[in-house]
Amino acid sequence: MTDIATTVSLRVNGSLEIFDIDPSEALVWTLRERLGLQSVRTTCGIGVCGSCTVIVDGKPVSGCLMLTVMADGCTVVTAEGLDATEAGAAVQKAFTDHHAFQCSFCIPAMTLAAHALLEEYPEADDDTTREYLSGNLCRCGTYPRILDAVGSLCRRANSSASGEERPA
Amino acid sequence: MNQPPDTQASDARARVTGRLPFVLNERVPGMLHAALVRSSVPHAEIRAVDTGAAAALPGVVAVLTAEDLAVNGDPLMFGDARQDQPVLAHDRVRYVGDPVAIVLAETRRLAIEACSLVDVDYVDLPHVVDPREATSDAASLVHEAQAGNVLATWTLRHGDADAAMAGADRHYDDTYLSPPASHVPMEPHVALAQWTGDGVVILTSTQAPHVVKETVARTLRLPEEQVRVRCRDVGGAYGAKVVTTIEPVVAAAARAVGRPVRLELSRSEEFHTVCKHAARIRIRTGVRDDGRIVARIVDVLWNAGAYATNSADAAGYGMVRAPGPYHVPNVSVTSTTAYTNTVPSGPFRGAMTSQLCWAYESQIDDIAADLGIDPVEIRRINLLREGDRYPTGEIMEDLHYDEILDAVTSGLAALPPAPPVRSGHVRGTGVALVIKSTQTPSRSECLIRLDAAGGVELLIASVEIGQGAHETLRTLAAEALGVPQSGVRVHLPDTAVAPYDSLTASSRTTFAMGSAVQDAAAQLREKLRGLAAAMSGTDPSRLRNAPGGFTDPGGSRCTYEEILRHSGLDSCEAHGRWVSTGGLGSLDSNGQGSASTHWHQGGVAVEVDVELETGKVRVLRAHGACFSGRTVSPIRVRQQTDGGMIFGLGPALFEELLYEDGQITNPNLSDYMIPSMLDMPPILGGSAIEGPRGGRRELHGVGESTVPPMAPAIGNAIRAACGIRIRELPMTPERVLRALYEEAGA
Repeated sequence: MTDIATTVSLRVNGSLEIFDIDPSEALVWTLRERLGLQSVRTTCGIGVCGSCTVIVDGKPVSGCLMLTVMADGCTVVTAEGLDATEAGAAVQKAFTDHHAFQCSFCIPAMTLAAHALLEEYPEADDDTTREYLSGNLCRCGTYPRILDAVGSLCRRANSSASGEERPA
Repeated sequence: MNQPPDTQASDARARVTGRLPFVLNERVPGMLHAALVRSSVPHAEIRAVDTGAAAALPGVVAVLTAEDLAVNGDPLMFGDARQDQPVLAHDRVRYVGDPVAIVLAETRRLAIEACSLVDVDYVDLPHVVDPREATSDAASLVHEAQAGNVLATWTLRHGDADAAMAGADRHYDDTYLSPPASHVPMEPHVALAQWTGDGVVILTSTQAPHVVKETVARTLRLPEEQVRVRCRDVGGAYGAKVVTTIEPVVAAAARAVGRPVRLELSRSEEFHTVCKHAARIRIRTGVRDDGRIVARIVDVLWNAGAYATNSADAAGYGMVRAPGPYHVPNVSVTSTTAYTNTVPSGPFRGAMTSQLCWAYESQIDDIAADLGIDPVEIRRINLLREGDRYPTGEIMEDLHYDEILDAVTSGLAALPPAPPVRSGHVRGTGVALVIKSTQTPSRSECLIRLDAAGGVELLIASVEIGQGAHETLRTLAAEALGVPQSGVRVHLPDTAVAPYDSLTASSRTTFAMGSAVQDAAAQLREKLRGLAAAMSGTDPSRLRNAPGGFTDPGGSRCTYEEILRHSGLDSCEAHGRWVSTGGLGSLDSNGQGSASTHWHQGGVAVEVDVELETGKVRVLRAHGACFSGRTVSPIRVRQQTDGGMIFGLGPALFEELLYEDGQITNPNLSDYMIPSMLDMPPILGGSAIEGPRGGRRELHGVGESTVPPMAPAIGNAIRAACGIRIRELPMTPERVLRALYEEAGA
């Protein structure tokens, strides 16, 4: 640890966190090791695999590439806090309902990426989903079930956009 | 693809929200973080290791070398079958990545940083990367005691292959190459060892807790009861966590410093710890003009890497699987595995099968084309069927290749069509089948316990890797006891309480542990029936099974809870067993005998698109099928069928560990890519061929059946699309393009 500790404040899953950290500390480290958020995981460490995806100010980012100081003042959502919104809870439910998991190491981050996708493209088709989620790798090959899960929400978004009742 | 799932895993929410327990999450008070200093050279003598600067770093507690871990002056050696791997290198290093020292520090970051301060003085030795060079006379020795670098050779002789080959109408002689590949589990290898008065407790991300226990005990010279191995959910393995890797060094280091020690490998270290066996396969096949295969001679040379791990037996498994799912009366197989100065090889999903399937399923399409026979038809002519003799001499049962072939061809045809073909692209379809023996002999045991409140506990050492093993076993226990699935609790593996299980691999858990669970549940039910009979003064045979209890001839029902209460028992338990005999060690010198308790059968059919200008291959549609026995969970079988195809896509099209000067040049997920959602076939289908319910053979594993056929099916589809045959994996755009140029020039 260098001597230049910096004070950082983050709003993580709704609660304000303030701490002094080494400016070289990565966000994934802060969230996992400092705040104990075990859904945040490192696999590649170079921003390729998406296991460390978290949502910072509404956008999905690779927590292994973002320094915590860069997120100062930002709002961070991890899988632990995704169900705080109705839309986030719906993503988690779609993943469980569609059996969109195997070893599940990558899945919490995948739900965050899926949530960001649906926020940005509520009517995403499978091609859009494949493109958007291609930065989140799943070695077990759960992709078809993930597409099912995301697809179920796209349809729901479509039907509610057209004024129909949401299914219970 | 939108069928609703049939079974909701009880831990589904924990899996999705990130609350699943992984060893990665474990911390204990007083724990030190470890990092390994690894060899930077492929082969060298170690003249000196200077740990001074690293040890002097504030926060570094110790820097240990082989000398520090030695017992009675002997360096610690380990290995699942042959103890040829030093826990830390002492006199020499044998591959780039070989651990030389372990740094223990208060933080992981410090431990990693301190590694760069350890100075190792190497005297380079000649190194060898290619097993062909390794087995040549001039080769340097990877292990001084192992002349010729040959770790093992297995031979199978069935009928008279030479004579039959000479008498065949046509002969085909091809060589196929399958490179090393990396498992890339998303959760790395991670272990935490803590010594107590009773010995050492190791929490580790493994597929084989009892094997790790035995290996650590042998390595550290402890009685087995002083080693306890515990697991959590495992974040991916694919074979990478079958062989013992980091557990001995973590346990030994924790003993040396008297504090708990945790080691988590970096992604680069994952690439340097275990890999898929590279193989060179020469396959000669003699065929009659009518398409009947009369002789097959296969010579395989495997790369074991620097240490034995399971490679000697693995070459034997490869020998058994080499002939393919065909009825060939005259077969000769020579399967040799050699040491080289590369990453140790180990089981890789579809182990010692994908490499061979790549060869035999590619060649058979060339034979079909040469004879003017349809590729599906030539398979039908030669398929192994019920009652046929396999080249090991055993009579085959439960074979379903006709159904699998039908399922994949009709399944592909029934899938929605791919988008129209674009100018400059060509399309083709291909099919491939596979046969895989399972680990034999092997043993699975379990304890099942009913408590006073009617709850059922299942104590097993089978590991949950996301394949759903625990849920499947839970279903089987609930069904056999007549209790709701929610009433059965499966414990995470702990060798102190869960009886022996060989390993969670080789697609064996549903079958082997599933059978043990059925055995345990049946025993428990009989014990309870006896208690109930004594309680009511009825003959046990007159008590009929009912949900959660029994019904007497008068129609009144007693529950398990009532039986225990009336009998004054807090609990009642039973020990279930499943044991297979025969297998590799029982085969005679010609490889004849009973090689496997059952055979995994699978196949895929694919449609590919080849871009002629770039050589880029894309799989557009794929349909996989496997024999699933009695399907316990359709959704989980489908996950394996689909997941297997997607997993198999990587080594088929782009995955390869590249070496230059004895060093891996792509040990990261940017240069070594694994399939993403954009790589997967956009249109996928799957079929499970089911067997009858009941009987000793009703359960069957499905974890690997669609992995091996992916590469040859894609190769065959490429051939169908543009007439080229690729014989070296992966089928990169460069290789496809080169073959297209050669074809155009020829």
